[in-house]
Amino acid sequence: MKERKKFFQTPRGTESFYLEEALLHRKASDALLDLFHTWGYLPVNTPAFDFFDTYRSLLDPEAEERIYRLIDREGDLLMLRSDITLFVAKQMGTSLTRQDLPVRVCYADSILRHQSQEDISHHEFFQVGAELIGSPGLRGDLEVLLLLLSSLRLLELPATVLHLGSRAFFNACFAERVAGPALHLLRAAILNRSWTQVEELLKAQRCRGAEAGLLLKLFSFIGARKEFAALKAGAKRVKILSEKAAAELDYLEEILNALERLSLGPEVHLDLAEIGHQPYYTGVVFQVYMPGLDSYIAAGGRYDGLLGFFGFEAPSVGFSLFLRKVEDRIAHPERFRQRMPKVNLKEPDAVKAFQEAERLRAEGKIVTLGG
Amino acid sequence: MEPITIALPKGRLLERIREFFAALDMRVSFSERRLVCLDSRNGLKFLLVKNSDLPTYVRYGIAGLGICGEDILFESGHQFFTLLEFPFGRTRLCLAGKKGSALTPEERLRGIKVATKYPRFTQSTFNARKVAVELIKLDGSVELAAVLGLAPFIVDLVETGSTLKAHGLEVLEPLKEVGVHLISNPAYYKLRYREIDALVERLKKGVRGGLQKTVS
Repeated sequence: MKERKKFFQTPRGTESFYLEEALLHRKASDALLDLFHTWGYLPVNTPAFDFFDTYRSLLDPEAEERIYRLIDREGDLLMLRSDITLFVAKQMGTSLTRQDLPVRVCYADSILRHQSQEDISHHEFFQVGAELIGSPGLRGDLEVLLLLLSSLRLLELPATVLHLGSRAFFNACFAERVAGPALHLLRAAILNRSWTQVEELLKAQRCRGAEAGLLLKLFSFIGARKEFAALKAGAKRVKILSEKAAAELDYLEEILNALERLSLGPEVHLDLAEIGHQPYYTGVVFQVYMPGLDSYIAAGGRYDGLLGFFGFEAPSVGFSLFLRKVEDRIAHPERFRQRMPKVNLKEPDAVKAFQEAERLRAEGKIVTLGG
Repeated sequence: MEPITIALPKGRLLERIREFFAALDMRVSFSERRLVCLDSRNGLKFLLVKNSDLPTYVRYGIAGLGICGEDILFESGHQFFTLLEFPFGRTRLCLAGKKGSALTPEERLRGIKVATKYPRFTQSTFNARKVAVELIKLDGSVELAAVLGLAPFIVDLVETGSTLKAHGLEVLEPLKEVGVHLISNPAYYKLRYREIDALVERLKKGVRGGLQKTVS
């Protein structure tokens, strides 16, 4: 390898940071974990790599392409941790019993994914998150949403907006009538708000006219609670949606009502094109956006089938916050840095200097030993 | 409120964009050598960037919106929200070569050598047809590659075909129709969807009102 590459480049998808920046990162991350702890969440450590075959069928082709793989000494193919939720699901799914539920776990760790040469979004590779296992329905969804909103409040991030959607609504509309690859294309087209493509895909599924019009109107909707209530009432009047799909819209409204009653700060918008990037989502999904940042800063949702894949059925919901992405936007970052007084001791006698330093440290000061 | 930022491509499309916006009472006017201009009445800020760099500016949110050909968008590999297709600038990505040099069945089987500015598109298009491609990436004057023998085939944008004809080349196969789109950075759209939707509605009126006929 060339000298230049050895010393002045790092592999794509990695970053290093240090001193004050690292201190802020560590303290903010600790503060979030402390917050999670007050909600009853306990830390979980996942392995840095695991067997690729374990997760293969849970990955989208695009996600699979971005994974770093390696081969161990026995010849097994491994993958580096690219999504903490997946690794947590295996850990929990293979170790929990019914008596353990509900279980609350949290983490602050890095993930590794390949990034293209022009991709500068390396700040997405540190996730702080929480997963609530064994709590179905509204109580579980609300708890995780409120914990996420509390995390945003703790960091005092300005003007954050939460977009709430539902994979369950998408599934209720399409899962039974659209086969695998077409369903994947439809999901991608809705996520990308590519309405011409959505229309074509619906046409291919013999969904035309008033039904296609209504679905396009619903999935392209973004708005506040009142606008959503009007849209929902209109959708119900025409009696095109299945009972299941209509019930999912009612459920979203119930969540919005509860969030509004709690009035926790960040604006919440209902956004039915938010159907989740991960294939394992099954219920509500959400993403948080912030002005001046090029992509979402937090994402999460309900994934009731994932632990079952590892042998233990348990409804689950969680979120991840890309902490590195927002660190330079945290209001009053000094809150997270050292607040103890600093002393630089200049005592020439080394033994006396160490003794004095110990005494001062016991008083709560930061002491460095000068020459 | 901060103005909506829109990246515009330098080159062939700029004048058409300017005329289209002017017809809707929106002003795109860059002073000499300036790359940023403001239409404060409509709350719009325009950035003038190199065509091939435009997706990068939008991807990283430097510009929230951009106007760009599908050829460039596909090549960038980034995901955007496509909000509108403009009624001008539509063209074709074509496979071209010397006159009478159509792909032989053997070439289809063994694979072909292609010079192009669009390696991602070319690779993906031919691989989807189960044809292997040896790519030579060029940044301009792609016709020369076929004329001088760097590669027997080229993949390039073709509007009238007159440049190809002048070099003794011809379109062997049109591969894709490409349009000019208004795109958005997804996060930017999510934060400012009301203003962006209002802008798109205004632009759509221009499209529906047949502005393409008045825009040369």
